[in-house]
Formats: sequence, C-alpha cells, structure tokens
Amino acid sequence: MERDLDNANPTILSVSQLPSRRRKGPSTRSGPDSKCDSIVFPKHSWPYGSYSSSDDGEDYGEEPMDAQDIYDLISTISDPEHPHTLGQLSVVRLPDIHLNPSPADLSDPDSLVTVLVELTPTINHCSLATVIGLAVRCRLEQTLPPNYRVDVRMKSGTHAQDDQVTKQLGDKERVAAALENDTLQRMVDKMLETCA
Amino acid sequence: MFSYDHKAGITASAKALRQLYSMKGFKPNMGIKILEDVCKIKEDFRLQTAVTRLEVYELFLDLIQDPAVSSELKHKYGSACGFAVDLIQVCQSERDPRNLMIWFKILRLLLADYDPSPEVTEELFKVFSAYFPISLRSSATPIGITADDLKEAVRSCFSAHHRVATQAFPFLLQKLDQGDAVTVAVKVDILKTIKACIEQYENPQAIIAPHIGKIWNSLKYEVRNGEVKETIDATLDVLRTIARKLDGTNVYKLDVSLLKSYVDLVSRDCQDDLANPTYTKQAGLLLMTVISANIRTYVLYNAGFVDTIRQNLRQPKSPSHTRDLLLLLNSLLKSRMELYEDRKQGHPDDEEGLRGEIHTHLDTLFHDVYLPVWTGKANDPVSDEKEVLKQTIQGLALLVSQKVAQSDGSSALLCSNSVCSEICSLLTSTITKGLTLSQNDHDNEDVSLEDEAVLALRTVVMNYIEGYSELANTVKAEIKKRDWARPSEYSLGALRDLLSRFTFVGCSEIPSSNATGNPQRFSPLQHVVTLTASLLEIFPLSPESESLEATSTKDSVSANAHVISSLHASVIWFRDACEAKYGKEALTSALSSDQNRLDTFGQLPEDWLLQIQGGNTTSDAALLQLQEDSPEVYCQFLKLGLFIVRKLYRSASASRQGPWDERALVQLSQMAALVVRSLNEEQQVRCNLAYEAFNLFRDAHEAVRQWFWNPSTGLLTLGILQGLRPGALVNLYEPSGQAERVMCETPSFGHSPSRESDIFAAIGAILANKYKGGPSTADPNSLVIKRTLEFWGNWLGDATAKNPPDATTFAAHNTIAMNIIAGAASRQDKHILSLIPSIHQAITSPSINGEILANSLGLIIKQNTLLTADNHSIVKRFYKQWIYTHLTKPLLEPAQPGGSENANLVARYRIAVLSVVSNCPFTVYQDDAPALIRLLVTALSSATIMEATEVSQFSWSQTVAALEVLVEILKHEPEALKGYLREVIGGVTKVFQACSSRGRRNREAEGERAAAQQEQKQEQQQQRQQHQQQQQQQQQQQAVCRRLVLEVLNGIPSQFEERLVRVHVLPTLRMLAMACGDPVRKVREVARTARGSWARIAQSG
Repeated sequence: MERDLDNANPTILSVSQLPSRRRKGPSTRSGPDSKCDSIVFPKHSWPYGSYSSSDDGEDYGEEPMDAQDIYDLISTISDPEHPHTLGQLSVVRLPDIHLNPSPADLSDPDSLVTVLVELTPTINHCSLATVIGLAVRCRLEQTLPPNYRVDVRMKSGTHAQDDQVTKQLGDKERVAAALENDTLQRMVDKMLETCA
Repeated sequence: MFSYDHKAGITASAKALRQLYSMKGFKPNMGIKILEDVCKIKEDFRLQTAVTRLEVYELFLDLIQDPAVSSELKHKYGSACGFAVDLIQVCQSERDPRNLMIWFKILRLLLADYDPSPEVTEELFKVFSAYFPISLRSSATPIGITADDLKEAVRSCFSAHHRVATQAFPFLLQKLDQGDAVTVAVKVDILKTIKACIEQYENPQAIIAPHIGKIWNSLKYEVRNGEVKETIDATLDVLRTIARKLDGTNVYKLDVSLLKSYVDLVSRDCQDDLANPTYTKQAGLLLMTVISANIRTYVLYNAGFVDTIRQNLRQPKSPSHTRDLLLLLNSLLKSRMELYEDRKQGHPDDEEGLRGEIHTHLDTLFHDVYLPVWTGKANDPVSDEKEVLKQTIQGLALLVSQKVAQSDGSSALLCSNSVCSEICSLLTSTITKGLTLSQNDHDNEDVSLEDEAVLALRTVVMNYIEGYSELANTVKAEIKKRDWARPSEYSLGALRDLLSRFTFVGCSEIPSSNATGNPQRFSPLQHVVTLTASLLEIFPLSPESESLEATSTKDSVSANAHVISSLHASVIWFRDACEAKYGKEALTSALSSDQNRLDTFGQLPEDWLLQIQGGNTTSDAALLQLQEDSPEVYCQFLKLGLFIVRKLYRSASASRQGPWDERALVQLSQMAALVVRSLNEEQQVRCNLAYEAFNLFRDAHEAVRQWFWNPSTGLLTLGILQGLRPGALVNLYEPSGQAERVMCETPSFGHSPSRESDIFAAIGAILANKYKGGPSTADPNSLVIKRTLEFWGNWLGDATAKNPPDATTFAAHNTIAMNIIAGAASRQDKHILSLIPSIHQAITSPSINGEILANSLGLIIKQNTLLTADNHSIVKRFYKQWIYTHLTKPLLEPAQPGGSENANLVARYRIAVLSVVSNCPFTVYQDDAPALIRLLVTALSSATIMEATEVSQFSWSQTVAALEVLVEILKHEPEALKGYLREVIGGVTKVFQACSSRGRRNREAEGERAAAQQEQKQEQQQQRQQHQQQQQQQQQQQAVCRRLVLEVLNGIPSQFEERLVRVHVLPTLRMLAMACGDPVRKVREVARTARGSWARIAQSG
C-alpha cells in the first residue's frame, strides 16, 4: 500500500540553482567562441618544460573546510519521500550552516570545530524530520574528521515540534539507539546512497 | 500427403513441392493445384510445428508472387479470389513471429497485385487488422525478428492498396480515439500507419479527401493537448503528409481547391488559439506544419499567418506568449529558407510561385515586429524577457538569411542593405557591451544573450558580407577608446571576450558568394583578411609590456597578448572550418605551389592586408578570385597566415622588448607552429623555413647571421621548428651546422627550472628527434647525432665527477641533456646505447649532481607535447619498452635492498629506476612487478627515515614516483602485492603522517620567516620570492603524496579478500578519519571515498 505523503507538492529547485563552488571562482567561458580557449587563453602561460606538467594543472592549494563543503556533503542526501535531494527541496540551505570557529582562522588544525546545521522541513508537521536529521548527522559523522562536533537542529519556527526534534537529534544515546533499529538504519542507508 | 493427417511428411513434402516449383518445367496450373491441395489440410495446419508451417508459408509465397502462377490464378478465380479465402482459413490463427512475417507479405501481395472483390478485401482486412497493434514478447532466445519488423509488416498490409482505405482509416482512428487506454508506443504506431497509408494510396482526391475531416478532428488534440514529443512529432508528420499528398507530385499538380479546403480547415480551428497563451505554441505548430509543407501552401497562406502573429504580438498576454509567437515567426522564416533552398527540385510551378511571391509583409518584419520587441526589453531584462530577446536575436539572424529569387534566376537578400546594417549594429552593440559599460552596469554572470548574439552575428555576416567590416570598425573604435597601458582585470576580461567573439564571428565559417549582392568583390577569405588587418592595426595596444623576466613568475596577461591570441585563434577556427567544408584529404592535396612565398612577401607593401581589405589592390589578385567551394581557399589562407607570421616575427625579433611579453610570444610561437605544420614538406623546403627558424624572417642584408640566443628568439625559433617536417630540416644537420651547434652547447644561464632551460631543452628535443639521416643527406654516417650524444655523455661524466658545477647550473644543463636524449630516444636512435653506460656511471657519483641526474631520468620517457605525430615528430611505437630494457632493467638488481654494499649507491639506483618507471605505462614493466614492489616498499620506508633528518627536495619526488607506480600495480595486478600488504599499508601510512606534519611545520616556519623578512631590504626580495615559490612547490608535492597515499588505500579493500584486509581496518580508519580534515580539498575528497570503502569492511566484520 502506498503511504500518503506528508507534503505531496514540495517546491523543487533545479540542480543549476543550487549553490556551488564553481560559480564563485573566476568564470570559465562557455560560449560558442570558447572552443579553443584552452589553447589561446590558457590558464598557465608557459606550456613548456617542467612548468607545464606540474600536477596536470590541478590545483593543490590549501582550502580549509567551509560551509560550502558541508553543504556539498549533505545536500545530496535523498529525501525519504520524494525522488529529490535535500538540497533541491531546500531542506538544507547554505546560509543555515555554521562552522564555529571557522577552520580558516585556526592555527592548530586539530582544535575543536563545531558544525551547526539547521534544517528546514518542507512543511511544519513533517513526520520525517527526525529521520532526515538522523541521516544528516550520520553523513557528517561518517565524513568529517574526529575533531569536528556535529550539531543538527530544526530551524526554529519551521516545525511544529522543533524543540523536541532538536533535542532528540542532540541526544547521543537516542541517536545510537535509533541506529540499532534495522528499519531506521536501512532507511538512512537508502537516503545516503545518493551521496558521492 | 496434405489431405491426410500425416504430420511427419508435411515438412518434407512442402520442401519437395518447393523444389518442384523451382524446376524449369514447372507448369502454372500445377501451382494452382498445389495451392488448392495444400489448403485441404485446414484445421490440422495449426497443429503442425512452427518450422513445418514456415515451410508451407514459403511455398505459398513463392507461388503467389510468381507472375505465371498469379496470372493463372487471376484467370481462374477472377475477382472472387476463392483461393484467398481458403488461405485465410488455413492460416488465420498464426502466432509465430517468423511465420507472421511471411504471412503478412502474402496478404500484402494479395491486396496489391490481385484484384479481390470488396467482400474478399474485407476478409483480408479483418485478418491483418486483428493483429493491430502488434507487439512481441521478449524472449530468452531471440530469433532475429524485432517488434519493429512486425509493426512494419502489418503497416505494409494497411498501406498495400487504396482499396482498403474505407476500412483502414475508420479502424485506425477508432483505435486512436480510445483515449488514455492507448500507450505512447501504440499511438506512434497508429500515426505512422496512417501516414504510410496516406503516402501509399493513389488517387488522393477520391480516396483520401473524404477522410481528411475525420483525421484532422482526431489528430488535432494530439498536438493541442499532447505532452509527449514522440506523438506530437508523429501527428505533425501525418498532417504534413496530407498537405503534400494533396499538392500532387513533382510532375503532376492536383487542383488547388482540395489543398485550400484542407488548410482552411486547419486554420479555422487554430487561428483563435494563437491569442491564448496556453495553446499558442501548439496551435502555431499545427498551422506551421501545414503551411510550410510545400511551396504552394506557403505562398498562399504565409502572409495571413504572419499577419495573425503580428496582430497577436501587438497585445501579448505575457512574456512567454511573446516568446512563443516569435518562435513561430522564426520557424516560419526557417521553413521559408528550406523551401527556398529546395525550390529547384520540385515542380516548375513551385519555383515560379516563389519568384512571384509578394514579400512586403516580410520586408517590414524588422521595423514592425523585432525592433519594437527589442527596444522594449533590451535594457535590463529579467529571466522571462531574456528568452524573448533570445528569440528576437535568432529571428534577426533568420531575417537576414532570407533570399528572394530574381527574375534572372539569381538570388538576392530579402532585406535591404540598410536593414541588414541596422540589424548588424544592433547585435554588435550586444557583444561590445562588456567594453562600453562599466563593471557595475554589466552583468557578467549570465552571458547567454551575448552568446546568442554571437551566433546570430555569424549567420548575419555570412550572408550580409559588408556587415563584418562594420563590426570590425565598431570593435576597433571601442577598443581604441580605452587606455591599455594599465588595464583593470575587468577590462582585460572584456577585451578577451570581445576579441574572441569577433574572431569566432568572422573565421568559424566560410562565407558563401551567392549571398552577396556584389559577386565581383567577394572572396571567401574576406572576413579573415578583415579580421587580421584590424587586429594588426590595433596591435600593439600598449607600446610597453612587462619584461619577460618580470612576468616569468606569475601568469599575468596583457592586452597585447590577447590580440596575438586572437590571431592564433583565427587560424585555428578557419582551419577547422576548411576541414569541415572540404575534408581533411582535400586540404593536404590542395597544397601545391611552385614559388617561394617568402620572396613574394618581400615585395608586398607593409599595409598589404589593408589594401586587400579595401579591395583596391593590384599587387596580388590571387586572394580575390576564389570560389568558396574550392580547397584552394585553404592554400591561400595558409599563404595569408605565413604572411602574418612573417610580419609579426620581424616585429618581435627586431625589438628585444616593446609590446612583446611572454604570453604574446608564446602565442605567436604556437601560431607559427600551426601555420608551418599545415604546409607540406615541399612548401616548407621551398620557403626555406628551416633557415628562417634561426633567421626569423629578417632581411638578408641585416648583418645578424649568427643566431643570437635569448629567451625571446628561442621561443620564436621553437615555433617554426615545432611545425617543420623532418624532410625540411635536412640542411640543418650538416657537420658542424646549425643543429649541431645548438645541440652541443651548454649556454650560460641561471638556475633551473627556468624559462631559458625549458626553451633550450625543447629546441634540443626537436632537433634531436627530427633528424633524418641516410646516405642521401649531408650527414651520411649519422655523425651529428653521434657527436651530440658523445658530447653529452662526456659532459655528464665531467659534471658529476671531475669538476662538478653548482647544482642549479647542473640541473639547467641536465634538463637540456635529458630532452635531447628523449628526442633521439623516441626515434630509437642506436647511438643512445653507447651513451647509457656513461649515464649509469654518472648516477653513482657521490655529489648531489648524481642525484639530480638520477631523479631526472624520467624526462627521457615522459610524455612530451612537442614530440607528437601532429608536430611531425618521429615517434617509434615501442620506444618506451626499448629505453626501459636498456636503461632501467640493468639497474633493477643493484637497486634492490642489499644489492650493493654501499647503501647510498642502492638509494641512487632506486631513485633512477623509480623516475623512469613512474613515467612508463604499466605494460612496459609488468614482468618486473615483483622486483619493483620490493623496491617500492623500501622507497616508502626510506622516505620516512629521511623525514627525520634534513630532506633534499628529491626524496619527495621519489616518494611521489613510488606511489604512482604502486597505484598502477594495484590497479592492474593486485595479486603481486598480496604478500606485501602489511608493508604497503604501513609504509603509506607513515608517508602520509610525514607529509602532513612536515606541511604544518613548514607553515609555522614560514610565519616566523615572514616576520623576520619584513626588515629585509629590497634587493633580497627576488631571492625571497624564489624561496617562496620553492616552498609552494614542495607543499604541492606533499599534497600530491597525500592524495596518492589515499588512492592506494582506497584501492585496497576492493582488490583483496576481506580476511587479508581486516587486520588493518582499525588503524587505517583512524588515519582516514584524520585525513578527512586535510587542508587541501582534493585530498579530502579522496579521503572520504577511501574512508567509505574501509568502513564497509568494518561493518561487514
């Protein structure tokens, strides 16, 4: 039997509308006239000898973790109801991700960093808010280094019971217990399948 | 046999009967007898096996399509076709696909070739229509027949003859009108069948006309309310076919009244929908399809259609409504173009009709429709309006492309010159916006409108030839308005965009002569000439560029370099356009010329290009009298290219500095390479380009005969050499000639790596590679190469043992040596073999130079962009294998741990082996994998030992090389690593830790140093920069190391059994978790994947 959806008609963003790092960098041209750009307007002017092949033009500059990194990690999680990602459904938003203190300002890379993610459910009575929160938590714990502390919350005012859900997600023991549950574990695994 | 139930005999007897039929003396009335008798099997037929039935079907088919038998049958049965009824009874419940294919063929023959009475026709129709729509169950044992074959076969029955029309159309329409019950595939099948019927049936006035009303009523909703593209396309196909059928054939035209009433029917239903934004697109599509189906309907109805659109455009309901209406107008223009192009293939009346077409309604389109829409929205459009503007831009391009037939049969442009010019300036203003507006007013994010305008402008100038000169004038004026001495980054970006677009518009297509009003002045090269003349006119934009030395540390760009880049791009674009138009072969065969072009260039005035552009030259008319369909265009284009290269080379080599910065020189050099390598050997020889490579096109009376070495001239020389063919270089290799002088020289310049050593090494590699020795050359005994290699062999010996120069000088010269060897090696020159012992000897030198050499051996085998077939280099297929066998294999044994008593010696050999192996493809060293793995493990552990002490920069490149090889082995032959898993995992983990902690320490040290250096004086700044650069490089190398370590770890869980890996899970996962916080993003990404694959092992355990 098909379950009734909590929100049958959510607003969906297309992939091109999602915030991404590419658009922030210096623009690469894509017009019809850009075919030979790599030859006539190359990134590195010197094509010969040892300069040309330094790591095949790849960039190995230091870029400490930032909100966009966290966004990229969790925006690709699938929604449990819809065939869309949390980013597309705007459950996860870039401005609602905070790193404290920002890793860029830290002198010691091993000091503690708290990642705060505020989720916005598509409707304020979403029954799956906890599951979504759990999945976000799992994903971050699986991918962030041990000196990062994860704090997942419901954005205040976006959910009828945001306090309770937030409390539930903050309780380590309850999270651990939830993941003992096979059904929940399978559901979370399913949601994380779409993460690269 | 057939009248009795004797199953076993039927296959055999059917076969025998077919055999009989194929015999010479077979009598037609025997055929009838067979047919009748076989039919007696009746009900039993379906009980036979499919193979048996197939045999019988084939027998039937043979008989029915035999002309003699068929005439006998017709004679005997007449229109009653009694035998057909018998056949139906026997075969009607067939289900086997293979048999069905033949059965449908028989049915089609019966309908088309025989003359069955209406009753029999109906019976036949019932038989095949019962199968419609047919499908095929997917089967595990495919039989070579697809569902599409079956569909096609049934369709051919429907369209076999117009005598089934009265049954077919109602039957098909009724199937179609079943609503949602019909799937898309079935719908498309029905529509295709209707189309086939309309196409095949003869006598459309009597047969098709009565059904048109019904067909239209059923079909219009498929488009009006349809959502699936396939059905919409198939429906439009049917409607178009009706219009074409009612028009008649190429030879015979039908009366126009039927066609008119059909189009009227469509217009009546659709016209009102155009005012309704929801249905505009669909209604327009329907109308468009019918009107543009053939020239007659187009001529009759297009004016009305355009008027309706125009009226609706005056009061659009929304931006998307405007967009849809413009889209319709544009597609009408597009269809008009297609009809115009095909006018000669149709009925003579058609061409006449098009010639007499009244086109005042099209003339006024620009001022009445497009211009008002444009002016209303062009300033600051929002997203919906942008779509409208895009349609407008496309429409403008289509409008300029419209042609009208003149009374003398020639074509002219529909729009007047003034309209074309206005359109041109409108589009030009869009692409110059970046330069005319300031940064704040110009939205850099979305360039889709500009891109659209670029494409449109290209179409415009290909038709309205004068448009390109107008564009060129505007571009020149806009660029000259600005000061380019110290431009902002924004201005430089805008300049790059503008020049790149300007180049694309003029050079990415070859203009066509029949478009222009003035064929005498037309040349396919016109735009190229205009472009190059304009670019040369504005060059240099600023008289002084930063010096080569100052720019060498950063990737800066200058306005001057952009101009040269555009010239380079123009060559690439036009070359591609020629290749697309004439094909690759035509281009190589077209190149024949018996004169030294350079001599003729000498006599040309400096402003030759401007003169050609103005069309008032008599100096060389060859460029003007070309047809655009002759590959000679390409030849003349190369001539032009060579002229430009010569001009720029003379300018660049005359002044040491001036406008020529590094980027400009590199671009010029690459452009020269492109032009030169497109010439064939004969032309390269005739123009004496090998000589010019060192003379740089200077006049003979200039006394500079000696090639004077500096980085600028080096770059220019390199450009020409890069494009030359070995045959054209022969003269350089005279004993003690130019080539030998260059190759056997250790020029005195600074440190390595530097621009100087890079250029010199590149020239050396090319000269050593493009050597074509042999008895007929000036160097019959290959003495030049022998002496060159001997020279470098001796130098290696000297520089590492007797009197070693300082490390940086050695490194610079060593790069040259390795490149020269690489050039000769890819040719598999046998003299290399005598050089190898000296290399082996030099590696063992205790001085640091020995280590530098060992570490750089990989250069011999490394992929070199200059040594490729494109550049006419000689690259033997198995040279890497050859070098590996001779150079590296002898070192494998002594490089093993304990291979020699001297540990330093072992380390040196190891560095050399890894340097070469990491540049080889896996297959080359596959056989030595086990020996290499021991080496790798040692290399990894030695990296961490060295970490504890002070490390030379080479240890990291050694580690990188080792890890690269490890990744390759893991990918291709993981089995070999099985016994070393613990060592490998332990080794790479230690390397990772070493890389990370060193990076951190470096950063801290850097901070302290920066504070201290604040007080240092100006003169030490350069040294500091150099130091920073080195540090940066080292950090990058460490990041690469970390990435490779993680790649190795990532590969392990999937390649080995779990029991082998599980022991390592916990420590590895801890390390990977830390790695997820790496400061470098690329490393973090790999770390996450690796962590995921190890976590799976942990979970499963």
